[in-house]
Amino acid sequence: MNPIHLLYKMRLPFGIGILLMLFFVDAGYGQDADSNAVAEKPKVKPVKNIFESVWLIDNQTVLVPIKGTFEMDFQHRFGVVKNGYKDFFGLFASSNIRLGANYAPMDKLFVGIGLTKYKMLWDANVKYAILQQMTTGRWPVSVTYYGNMAIDSRGAENFVHFSDRLTYFNQIIVGRKFTEAFSAQVAPSVSHTNVVNGYYSEPGKVSPERNHNHFAVAVNGRYKLKEAMAVLANYDQPITKHKAGNPHPNIALGLELATSAHAFQFFFGNYYYLSPQQNNMYNQYDYTKGEWMIGFNITRLWNY
Amino acid sequence: MNMKFRLSILGLLLAGSILLSGYGLVSPNDPWPVPEKYQKMPNPVKADASSIATGKSLWNKHCVSCHGKTGKGDGTKAATLKTHPGDFSTAEFKSESDGAVFYKTSEGRKDMPSFKKKIPDQDDIWSLVNYIRTLK
Repeated sequence: MNPIHLLYKMRLPFGIGILLMLFFVDAGYGQDADSNAVAEKPKVKPVKNIFESVWLIDNQTVLVPIKGTFEMDFQHRFGVVKNGYKDFFGLFASSNIRLGANYAPMDKLFVGIGLTKYKMLWDANVKYAILQQMTTGRWPVSVTYYGNMAIDSRGAENFVHFSDRLTYFNQIIVGRKFTEAFSAQVAPSVSHTNVVNGYYSEPGKVSPERNHNHFAVAVNGRYKLKEAMAVLANYDQPITKHKAGNPHPNIALGLELATSAHAFQFFFGNYYYLSPQQNNMYNQYDYTKGEWMIGFNITRLWNY
Repeated sequence: MNMKFRLSILGLLLAGSILLSGYGLVSPNDPWPVPEKYQKMPNPVKADASSIATGKSLWNKHCVSCHGKTGKGDGTKAATLKTHPGDFSTAEFKSESDGAVFYKTSEGRKDMPSFKKKIPDQDDIWSLVNYIRTLK
């Protein structure tokens, strides 16, 4: 059994293991600052640039931009690479696109909206920095909440009630900058969908084929190769087991280039839907079958 | 005769415009007055390894595209600017006080953006000044 399969079988303990590692491994960024503290008593400040972008491939990072920041997101996920030249490794296949706009009206808070091509999903999202990793040992990690509500805006013929259009996503992200170059985070989440498909479990009785709530955990990190260039890795593990249509995990690897106002992320991964609740609940792209896609996230920042 | 006269006037105008445009290209940047408060402001951040590292990181993220890797004003975007970003290796620049460099970085002017919102922690801008001092 290969290590990835082993992790898949382990499910929750894997996420918990990483979480424990984040809290208790003490070879950290804060440790360096501590050693200086004895001599010069530097001011205790939040650790900066734990990540360069609010995105890390398919997940949010703990980063909440400073007050007055306006941000735009341009995200693409192309078709599967394995078709080869036929659709130029998925780049000419039908792609999924999300356009987003966010603003930080006050410190630690980031609010935004977005529109995704798949299902014409409008999302309204909120992000709040609950705790920030400090330069000395007070808080060894940053903890950020991210949540969204999404509305499927396709034609009324697809729905019985308005509430059938709604899905929700809630996530707690725990992140730490271990060294100047290496940051990692773990992010448990729950996705909720108001309506799920049904099936006839017995004559005349319809049962839901899956739960309305789905738990998952993401583990991801960044390693800086140069000042403005980093490699990214991301893993999403489904936890909830459904009767049918269980989602596949997501493995993604990428490269990030960050400048003063932009962050560019290019990667391979298995998530297509761009909406975290759609990805976590419904991902049918299986890395064991070579179903990888190329994608990118571009963010543009303005400070007002 | 008349034609020669006209041609010589035209030639003079052409030469003059070339000279003037050339002069425009090499003219020094406008003086950038710095308020006395900043001229004399001492740098509160010690130029230790940690501060230099912070400054270097900020330099590579925010400054290098115009000012170039070593501060000579030869970054990839420099050619598109109306104002030359200056050469930080010159004696003239080195004679500027830390406070003056802090002020110019914070406030900006014309092509040079203001960084006080992008780099909200003033100590970070002082660290950037410390790193700029290391450029040769």
